[in-house]
Amino acid sequence: MQILLSGLATGAIYGLVAMGFAVAFYVTSVINFAQGQLLMAAIMVAAAVSQAGLPTGLGIVAGLAAAAVLGGLVYLLAVRPVLSFSRFSFAWLVSTLGVATILEAGAALIWGPTSRGFPVMLNDQPVRILGAVVSWQQILAIIVGAAVLAAFELYRRRTLFGKLGMAIAADPEMASAIGANTRNVAIAAFALAGLLAGIGGILVGPITYANPYLGETYGINGFVALMIGGVQRPAGAMAGGLVLGVLSQLANTEINSQASDWFPFLIVVVVLLVTPTGLLDAARWLRWPSRRAAAPSPAARPS
Amino acid sequence: MTALASRVRRDRRDRLGGPARGRQAAAVVIAVCYLLFTQLIATGSLYSQSLVLTAACFAILAISLDMVAGMTGLYSLGHAGLFACGAYATTLLNSHLGLGVFTVAPIAVAGTGLVGLVLGSLSLRVSGLYFAITTFIFTLVVGVLASDLSITGGLQGIEGPLFPAFPAGLSGLGSSVTWCVMLALLVTIFLAVAIRGSALYPVLLAIRDAEPFAAAAGVRTAAVKIGMFGLSAALAGLAGWCFSFLGIVSPGQFSWNVSVNILVMVILGGINTTVGPIIGAAFVSMFPAYVNFSALWQELLFGALFVLVIVFFPEGLTGLVVRLARWLRPRLRLAGATTASAVPAAAPPEAAAAPAADGIALRAPAGGRKQPAVECHNLTFGYTRGAVAVDNVSLVVRGGTIHGLIGPNGSGKSTLVSLIAGQRQPAAGSIRINGTDATSSGPWTRPRHGLARTFQTAVLVKELTARANVAIGLYSQVPRIALRAPVWPLLPAARRQGRDMAARAGNALAQVGMGSWAGTRVAEVPHGVEQLTQLAAAAVSGSGVLVLDEPLAGLSPGEVEHVAGILRDFRAAGGTVIIIEHQVQFVFGICDEVTVLSAGSVVASGPAAEVRQDARVREVYLGQ
Amino acid sequence: MKTLTVSSLSAGYGRFDVVRDVSLDIGQGEAVALLGPNGAGKTTVVRSIMGMVRHRRGSVVVNGTELIGMATHQIARGHAALVPEGRRLFGNQSVEDNLILGALHLRRDKARVAALLDSVYELFPVLRAYRARPSTALSGGEQQMVAIGRMMMSDPDVMLLDEPSLGLAPLVIEAIGKALRQLREQGRSLLLVEQRVDLALSVCDRLYVMSGGRLVRENRCQDVDPEGRALIDAYLG
Repeated sequence: MQILLSGLATGAIYGLVAMGFAVAFYVTSVINFAQGQLLMAAIMVAAAVSQAGLPTGLGIVAGLAAAAVLGGLVYLLAVRPVLSFSRFSFAWLVSTLGVATILEAGAALIWGPTSRGFPVMLNDQPVRILGAVVSWQQILAIIVGAAVLAAFELYRRRTLFGKLGMAIAADPEMASAIGANTRNVAIAAFALAGLLAGIGGILVGPITYANPYLGETYGINGFVALMIGGVQRPAGAMAGGLVLGVLSQLANTEINSQASDWFPFLIVVVVLLVTPTGLLDAARWLRWPSRRAAAPSPAARPS
Repeated sequence: MTALASRVRRDRRDRLGGPARGRQAAAVVIAVCYLLFTQLIATGSLYSQSLVLTAACFAILAISLDMVAGMTGLYSLGHAGLFACGAYATTLLNSHLGLGVFTVAPIAVAGTGLVGLVLGSLSLRVSGLYFAITTFIFTLVVGVLASDLSITGGLQGIEGPLFPAFPAGLSGLGSSVTWCVMLALLVTIFLAVAIRGSALYPVLLAIRDAEPFAAAAGVRTAAVKIGMFGLSAALAGLAGWCFSFLGIVSPGQFSWNVSVNILVMVILGGINTTVGPIIGAAFVSMFPAYVNFSALWQELLFGALFVLVIVFFPEGLTGLVVRLARWLRPRLRLAGATTASAVPAAAPPEAAAAPAADGIALRAPAGGRKQPAVECHNLTFGYTRGAVAVDNVSLVVRGGTIHGLIGPNGSGKSTLVSLIAGQRQPAAGSIRINGTDATSSGPWTRPRHGLARTFQTAVLVKELTARANVAIGLYSQVPRIALRAPVWPLLPAARRQGRDMAARAGNALAQVGMGSWAGTRVAEVPHGVEQLTQLAAAAVSGSGVLVLDEPLAGLSPGEVEHVAGILRDFRAAGGTVIIIEHQVQFVFGICDEVTVLSAGSVVASGPAAEVRQDARVREVYLGQ
Repeated sequence: MKTLTVSSLSAGYGRFDVVRDVSLDIGQGEAVALLGPNGAGKTTVVRSIMGMVRHRRGSVVVNGTELIGMATHQIARGHAALVPEGRRLFGNQSVEDNLILGALHLRRDKARVAALLDSVYELFPVLRAYRARPSTALSGGEQQMVAIGRMMMSDPDVMLLDEPSLGLAPLVIEAIGKALRQLREQGRSLLLVEQRVDLALSVCDRLYVMSGGRLVRENRCQDVDPEGRALIDAYLG
């Protein structure tokens, strides 16, 4: 129970980052490798604002806003310009990793490479639930993770904008032929992805403190969660995060304290090898990264 | 079409049959300069040695990555991991088993190559991003293993082995490590140059840009991809071997950023070029030494640099130079500086004079004329469960005839052809080609059966000449191209075969009346020429059965007539043609027999005249 | 004033033009067919009108608005709407969602969207019954109706239909034809790309024939006598 709860708490953070990956991929077929750094940006900005003496709430809002704005900028400046290259179709892979480096080095330059304090939101009294001892912070992470997932799914299925996102994911060219501005929707998706990472950051900040190199850890774990959960379903990505969190926690206690370093990869390798069918649908998508809009869809030209 | 043929084109140097003598001399000069430079560094300061040697290790890595990313289109992010495999294997085998550095070399290189083969065969089942992700995870796994295992010395790393100094007699050569690393780089450069000069190079580009075309030419594309990745991995292992002599080996040197950096080196220098990766590696690895900022500023600048390069100069530095040269050349020529390539070569006379006069060299169908060349029995196939694209189709194509395949959009013509050509395997039924069963064998077996095909949308390699594209069609006729490619220039037989392939490809182009375009890059030829180049690439191997999928799409009436002439000649020489075409007039005009498909089933099949009168056909086509 | 005037349109995807110097027009409430064999450039013409072809020159004017230079999503906001070849429904969504997405630019005007939705269900009553089903669960003909409905939902000045008969059974084609005739009677302007001459003749007032990327013929449909019809058949193969 202890393992389950603390696993779910970390897993929810991974899941939020992974959902961000999935949301951006869903609409644009691009994996934003700076996703983890957006989480870091949210933490750093929130910490900086509250250390300047402003209220914690304001810091959190500023952090979330920073992550969302940066997410949108990543798309505008680093992804959209390279999507049109026909020969080098993975250019975005390099450019988003470049952005990751910039954000990391930039944060270290502005705020220094060492950890800084992060405002405590809840008193860190341990709580006993069903024989397990957890902190309020962990409970909050689980609750927020679930709430965000529910809100996201409702939004996706019930609102016109959510349906439009699905339409663009299915057929970007046809979506623009019904009047969708695919560029704006893509920016929104990247901003939403940033926001999701930012929420994860605010949740995890009190535990990790503010450190410019957090992005890498959470980015990679979020990515692993994405691979477990499947690239095309944000809800699946959250599930992947939870699975990853619990399993890592299990490995940590049952094997040794370093196990959470390599255990995620073991899971991914097993997923990739054992259940290629689970990932095959994803792979079919991946084979045509970001270029589905380039030509009339193959289905449209049978003959 | 004659208008096209008569246009004189500047004959560019071709990869396959270039002027060998001058090139050899240039290679020798470059090699000598390279060795002099090595001598200079080996006797120079330790600082410059460490700079150059690190750059050289990364140059090996960048070249090895370019072999898969640039030539074959596989964007690997696993090279840092493979690099680590080589370095750790060397260090650990040396320190724990006490093996000498030269004993370790083949183990480290071959071992890493083997790791590459395994990784490749696991991740290349589907290509594209999936491959990049799997290799990315591989790098992460290697990094975690290196930092968590006790044997690797954890995050601090372990000291690499000492490289033995030269014996006293050779001490004039200076640092032995320098010579070793620089020679390793030279070997790597040689391999890259050899592959670029070999008959495999066009095939690799075809796998990258037009995989079905390569497969139809008889290439086992999956095996070639895995093999190339294995070779590339082995070279990364070599880089790791060299790198272990330069000091401490620690996990931080092989993180995923390094994989990305190697890719950036390749792109920055110029992807799919020989010198590009070297320039990129030198620039990126020396960048910190020349930019005197704090480490963080360097990182920031570096990140910004590669976003800018990707966004603004995706072709890299060499791309810029080439563009500059193209811009300068006409101006220089005006100034009187003539170069060899500026002299226009005359079009091959036979091309302009008598297009396709003597048909295409043919292999007679096994059973002789009028025997079945292709037999399909009860073929059924569906793309998704439930829906059938080809439904219980039986079709016999007699040798020495032209057989038309018509039907409305979506009637299953292209699917049927892809079954015959082996791109897809039928769910039920059987296929025999020239008397041999070919039901479940892949597309690369078709040249052996004597069958070649063209594709509906042109699938040629744009950056190669028409001649080099046609030569890909000869792949199945020259033995062991892939295995010999890394040492191609050293094998007289291979060089001769390369020239021979170019000559035969040129002839085939001449026979379809396109001889004057042989030396032009496909990216620059008109659409009609591209279609005929495809036809030449299918016909060049002498296959007795040609399967043509809409060969007339986008051709002018004159060009259509030209193709008709070529096909009639081909039939007169005993060849068999299966042709999908929408221009029904053309089909009934040229075909001996016609099969009409609708909704995946055969509506009518038989002599053209009979089918034409068939009421059902008019119904299918015109809804009457 | 003509509803649609295309003048000297040339368009293509890369190095060569698929469509060369095409000029055609459609009057208010007129249905016009664009016939021709595969590869003649018909699809490229309608895609160019929609702004879905990158390289295009010439002029496309709809009710006084020049469309060349506008982005696809701007054109789709009431100027023109397309039923694409192969239907291209948003397969993961319900019939009604597909239709409502068609009225994207009218989303603030809920009453108008509801009225348009009613008009679609009036034209295709079967869709009302299937409104909650995923569009992939429908038959080919019903999917085609959804595609036409989605086009109607944006209330466009010009309706473009690219081979709505493709892959459908004769009876279903007849139903589609009937719906198109009703649209014309409601005063809509239609451009119908077809390979089926019979469908085109039953729906349209005038027809153009394309071959090799050019317009080669223009006729009023009632002038097409049996002989002329044979000629058109020949063009179509």
